[in-house]
Order: sequence, then C-alpha cells, then structure tokens
Amino acid sequence: MTAIRIENLTRTFGAVRAVDDISLDIKHGELFTLLGPSGCGKTTLLRMIAGFIDVESGSICFDGRRIDALPAHRRDTGMVFQNYAIFPNHTVAENVAYGLKARKVPAAEIASRVDKALERVRLAGYGPRSPHQLSGGQLQRVAIARALVIEPAVLLFDEPLSNLDAQLRTEMRIEVRQLQQALGLTAIYVTHDQEEALAISDRIAVLRHGKIEQVDTPERIYRMPQTAFVAEFLGSTNMVPGIAGAFDGRNTPVAAAGTEFTVRGEVAAPGAPVLLSVRPEALQLRDGSGGSLVHARLALREFLGPVQRLHATLPDGTQIRIAALGGQALDLLPGAPLTLAYDPAQITAYPAP
Amino acid sequence: MKRFATIVTLAALVLLAVFLLYPLALVLDASFRIDGTGGLTLGNYAAIVKSRYYLGSIGNSLLCAALATAFACAIGIPLAFCLARIDIPGRALLLTLASLPLVLPSFVSAYALVLLFGHAGVVTTALRGIGIPIGSIYGVPGIVIVFTLTLYPYVVMPVLAGFQAVDASMEEAARNLGGSRPYVIRTVLLPIVMPAILAGGLLVFIEALENFGVPAVLAEDRPFLAVDIFKLFAGESDANPAAAGALSVLLIACTAIALLVQRHYLGKRRFSTNARSAPAKLPLTPGLRLTATIVSWGIVIASLLPFAAVLMISLLRFRGPVLTWEFGLGNYATLLSGSYRPLLNTLTLASIAAVVTMLIGAPIGYVVARHRSRLSGLLDFVGMVPFAVSGTILAIGLIIAFNSGPLILTGGWLILVIAYVVRKLPFAIRSSSAIVHQLDPSLEEASINLGVSPSKTFATLTVPLMASGLVGGLVLVWITAASELSATIVLYASGWVTTTVVMYHAIEGTGAGLAAAAAAVLILVTAIPLLLINRRINKQESTVI
Repeated sequence: MTAIRIENLTRTFGAVRAVDDISLDIKHGELFTLLGPSGCGKTTLLRMIAGFIDVESGSICFDGRRIDALPAHRRDTGMVFQNYAIFPNHTVAENVAYGLKARKVPAAEIASRVDKALERVRLAGYGPRSPHQLSGGQLQRVAIARALVIEPAVLLFDEPLSNLDAQLRTEMRIEVRQLQQALGLTAIYVTHDQEEALAISDRIAVLRHGKIEQVDTPERIYRMPQTAFVAEFLGSTNMVPGIAGAFDGRNTPVAAAGTEFTVRGEVAAPGAPVLLSVRPEALQLRDGSGGSLVHARLALREFLGPVQRLHATLPDGTQIRIAALGGQALDLLPGAPLTLAYDPAQITAYPAP
Repeated sequence: MKRFATIVTLAALVLLAVFLLYPLALVLDASFRIDGTGGLTLGNYAAIVKSRYYLGSIGNSLLCAALATAFACAIGIPLAFCLARIDIPGRALLLTLASLPLVLPSFVSAYALVLLFGHAGVVTTALRGIGIPIGSIYGVPGIVIVFTLTLYPYVVMPVLAGFQAVDASMEEAARNLGGSRPYVIRTVLLPIVMPAILAGGLLVFIEALENFGVPAVLAEDRPFLAVDIFKLFAGESDANPAAAGALSVLLIACTAIALLVQRHYLGKRRFSTNARSAPAKLPLTPGLRLTATIVSWGIVIASLLPFAAVLMISLLRFRGPVLTWEFGLGNYATLLSGSYRPLLNTLTLASIAAVVTMLIGAPIGYVVARHRSRLSGLLDFVGMVPFAVSGTILAIGLIIAFNSGPLILTGGWLILVIAYVVRKLPFAIRSSSAIVHQLDPSLEEASINLGVSPSKTFATLTVPLMASGLVGGLVLVWITAASELSATIVLYASGWVTTTVVMYHAIEGTGAGLAAAAAAVLILVTAIPLLLINRRINKQESTVI
C-alpha cells in the first residue's frame, strides 16, 4: 500500500515538453489511469516513475519518501510492459522468480510464491514451460504474475492490453482490475483506450501535450468534462460551435447550426462564441411533444445490433450523431425529418477556442 | 548505464585513433614527403601522373573492378531472382553454398585458375596435347573471372533480401489494378531492388579494388594498384615508400568514394526480410524451371569448382611445375616437413584475433545500437573506415607508426593481431549491433525494474541473449583472419610466418605442389568451422551486408 505524490514534474526532449509541470496525488490502493492520445506524455510520465527516464525538475514520492533520484532497479515498482518483455531464455517459472531472486528471497519461499502467483493468474502448472509455447494472453498473464509476485510498492502498467485482440482485451482488463483490488496494490495504468480507462479506473487523469486536462472519477470525467478536449476524447461527442444569447435566470439559449440549443446555466456573455458538446446519447428521438427540441434530417443509419447510430444533418447542414436503441425508428428512410429532445443540463458549453 | 556507454565509446575511439587513424595519417604524410630528406612535396603525385606505368596500374585496377562489378551483377541478379521466386530443387543448400565464396580465400581461387589454365595448367597442357591452344588467363581476364566468381554473393544477398521484402499483397495490388506481369516487375519490383543492386555492386567494386591476393597471383608483371603499393613499399630492388604512400592515398580515395555512395544508397532504403507474406513462387513451365535450376546451380558450382580443383590437385604429385596423375600426400609432407610452425601460427593468430575482436566489438556494438549520442555516432563512422582501407595500406601505416618511437611493435606477433583486429572490428561491431537491434529493449528494462542492476543485467541477461549471434561472428572473424594475406605479407616476421605467407612464397617461387597443399589447408581451415555453424552464418551475413 503506497501513496504517490508527484510535484511539478517536468521533462523536455529538445524543444518538446513531454511532461510539463505535472502534479498528482495517488491514494493507497488506487488504480489510477493516465489517459490520452499518443504523444501526450503519459508513457514518459510512467517511465519517469519507473526510473527509465531522468527527472528534469520536480519530485516523485512514495509514502512521503523521495524516490526520483534512486536508480530504476531500487525503486520497488512492478512494471507490466506493452510487449510483455518475457525473457525468452527462461522458463515461465524462472521469469516469475526473477525479481524474487534479485531480492535474495530463500529458494524454498521463491518456489511457493511463484506457484501462488501463477495460480492467481490462472496459469497453475505452466511453470516449466518455455515462453514460446504460450499465447499472447498467457504471456501477458506471466508478465502480470512476474510484477505481482515481488509485492511491489507500486504496479505500473504500460498499455498492457494493446497487443491483444478485442475480446481478450475486455476479459483481461477485468482480471487486471480484480487482481489489483484483491491484493490492494496501488497501480498506475497507461492507456489510450478511453473505454478501458472508464471500465477499470478509480480515477483518471486525461493528459494532453504533457499537461493534465482533468483528474476525476470515470463517471465525472465522462459526464462533466471540464474542457472541450476531454469531452471530445471521451466518447464521440458532437461539437457544435454557436453564439450565446441572453441568460434567462435558468438557461442560456445558444444559436448554433441554424437552430437554437438551450443550455443549463449562464454559459457566456450574450454574443460570445461558444462550443457545445452534445453527447449522442443525450439526444432522443421524439414525436413532437414538449421540452427542449431540435429538428434534423436523417442522413445515414448505422445498425449495430443492440444499438444504432444515426447520422443526421442540422438545418445549416452540420452533421451530428445520435445514439438510439436497436429497435427504434426502423421505418425511417434517409431524408426523413427527426425531432430530437434533450435535457439542457446534459449539454456542456465551452468558450470557443 | 550512461557511464558504461561513455567509457566504452571513449576507449574504442582511442583504440581506433592509435591503431587506425594515426597509421593512416602517417601514410598520407609520407605521400607528401620527399623520399630521404623529408621535405614537403607534391612530386610523388606528379610522378604518378607522369608515369605510364602507374597510370596503367590505376587503369588496370579500375577496369578489373568495374568489369567484375558488371559481371557480378549480371550473374548475381538472376540468381537472386531465381532463389527468391522460383521453386528450385535444393534451394536451402544452394543458398548456403552461394554464400561460401565470400569467406573462402579468393587468392586460392586465383591459384586454382593458374593450376588449371596457367602456363603449365592441367587444362592448358591437355588441350595443347590435342592441338587446341587457349589464350592466356593472366592479367585482366583471369582477375576479372576470379573476382566475379568470388564476389557475386555481395550482389546476391542484398538483392535476394530486396526481392523477398516485396510483400505479396503489394504485387497482388499492382496486378489487381490492372498491371501485367512485366509491368509489375518494372514498376514495383525493380524500383525496390534497385538500391540493393547498387549497394551490392559497389561493395564488389570496393573489394575488387582493394584486393591484393588475386592480382598478386594472376597479374604476372602487369601493373596493378594493390600489388604495386606492396612492391613499392616492401620491394627489395625498387622500394619507394613515398610513391607507395601516394598510390595508397589514391586507392583509399577511390574506395572511400565508392563506400560513401554505397552507404548513401543503403541508408536511404532498408530492406526487412520479414515481409508479412513472401511473394509466391512463379508458376513456370517445366522447361523454364529446368533452365532456371541449371543456371542457378551452374553459377554456384562454377564459383566453388576452383576450390574443389585445388583440393584434388593437392593430392596429386608434381614433377617440378608439371602435374602428374599420380596420387600421393607428398605435397602435404613437403608443407609440414619444414615445420608445423606456419600452420600453428595461423591457428594461434586467428584465435587470438577472433577473441579479441569480439571482446572489443560486442560492447561497442551494444553501445552503438542502444545509446545513440553524438559520440557513438562518431564511433559508428570511424568504425566504418577500415572497410575503405586495404590490408596492405593499413599494414604499411602500422609499420611506419610502430617501427620506432615509444611503442615498437614490428617484428612480433602482436602487430599481426592488431592488424587483424582493426580490419575485422567493423564486422564485429555491425554484427553485434545487429543482434542487439533484434533484442527488445524492454527485456532489459524488465530486468532492471525487477531489481537487477544495469551492469548485472548486461552480463546475465543481454550477453546470454546475444551469445548465439556472437559465436557466429567469432567464427567468421576467425576464418577471415586465418586466410588473411594482404596485411600479413607486409607485417610478418621470421618467427611468425603463416600458411598464407607460405603459399604466397611457394607461388612466387616454383613450389607448385607446396602451394597447392597450403591452399588446400586454407580451404579446410576456413570451410570446416563454417559448415559446423552454417545456418547461423547465413543469417548474420545478410544482416551485416
């Protein structure tokens, strides 16, 4: 159980500020995810914590003890690599025992701990095998067992599931989450997959250009994105530019896309340009009853089984996406008029960039 | 880890500066000095330009190198295509055999030509007996034949890799878009292999220009650059070190330009042989397939035939220079009756040189591959220099540098080892850095992350993972050091005569039987270790070239 405090951490490569003055507090036993597009600095940050990249300025503390000057092999972190990094010249059991041997654990204890670790990742009996006899998913489990068995202060995951196929990925992320919770280890998890991040994290930090955009629980990150970037990165939201109108004490009308949206709260001074985030699931197909409504025309239907995604055009031609249930509005043809209802509280406005 | 890298890089640079750059600088310096007085002059170069003999020497060398390059491409490209795209029986064996001429000593092949087609050659006398005279193979024709037959693998290897790097889908896409087969070959295949052809061809050119042994055996009295440099420096009657220096500088200039052009092409386009799906074999009529098989096997067998001939002839009895058809081990008896020393020297020197080269080369290769910095970039560049310098010139530089002064090395075994190590170091560096490139860096990081220090990780994880590749490199260095002639002939001293030196003197003299036996020993010494680990070597050669 370790709490991690990162203060004003910076690292530049040439002219690029890969990690730019980042401060974070990660709690005991938390699964904390660093999320962002490639090049956002998430992997650099993780590798700085692991000790593979030198800290330029700022500090990293585990339980109040500064570790950023320690060499990588003395930081007591257990890292799971994107490509597994299983030693090909050692058996599965030797791979798992590697860190225990480095820590001079007695041989008898090593054997029992290795067995237990392999059991935990559902690979009991695979110890004597050679890595090349294992599948990708099994190799990933060995990598996790190898990192867990040393009972590290912190578990580090560097896009651990990105080399697996889609179905295995969703299975493995549940296993990773359950193991982490069962052992109560603090974990930092790097991914660019927003669904994965939402599914397993206690908290998420969204990074962009080496800076933190928002740190929050998955629910709040999704429902209350603080910046347009976060809103767009999490879930394929519709971003619609518009001009704010006069606040009526409860809502603000925003003229956008040839029509008008009603947004909860005072979003901007009248006449100011804003950017609206309208989530596809915030728009519902209605047949003309009251509430906040907007009119559009169906352009294309993507039928996905349980749900469908409708592509529609707003009066000025702006394309938007609408999430609907699989059985809804099946008789509508492209060109048909749609009436969309929404809750003004579900629409977020950002100052236009 | 950074300190380890810096120490290795600096140590390697110091080593190369002392034993490569400093001697070469002295050769350059000598070329601008008046022989005897030591005053500065351009006279040595002026003398070369005025001399018909030296101009002929340069002309002959360039002509042979150019012709050898053209012929090597002419047989190498079709062979590479057949190996890549036609279902030839015994393809794996053919591939192994095709790489053999690169490591077998080329002057042995030249000597085989003399034994077969020379003045008193087996074939010459036989044909003369039935009244068919054949032309002389001495000079340009023989030299070009030998260079072509021993250097064509330099074209085959990269071009084969190029043909295989074309993913099947790329060709299928071109066909799907309506391209006919010849159109696809012209617009997809050729542009991809063209840089490989140029790169391989230039390598042939460089090797042919530098080579000392082949013209030494076949030139007779005709002028050739590599031979003339040796004679001017070490000749008993007409020694002129200053002129040797000037010719050396000209030779280095030619090879350096070719090498830079070659690296330029190779740097622009890298081939990976791990195309997702290799292109399918061409559907051919049985007749065409038979033709391709005969041509492919024919080329490879023709290139190995001289070596086989030498092995056979070494078992026949010579009466003076004339060969008889009586079998006997007399030649070997003569070779070994004097002393076992030359053979022992060859084995000892090659072993020391191979171990030292790999011990120095492996850490350098690791640093060059893993820790990119300005310093390691410089090392990478300096490490390339020996490719452009012939053994004779390096040896001349070493003699000028270490014949007097604080460090005297001439006359001993150490200077031979130094010459071998410096000449083979680029190979060791490149082969070990190629191995390191194939190792995922996250393996080392995983080890460090689990609590093993970086230096211990290098020793206990990286080195074992590199080991199989390093053994291959070790054997290749050993083989090429054992059959080294061009530097040895300049540097050897009385106690350190090697088998190659014995053979050279036997050819110069009248010991045809002795030379054949020495040549056979050299073939065995190089071929046996090669066959023991041939699979590994194949892989390495393609990565190093």
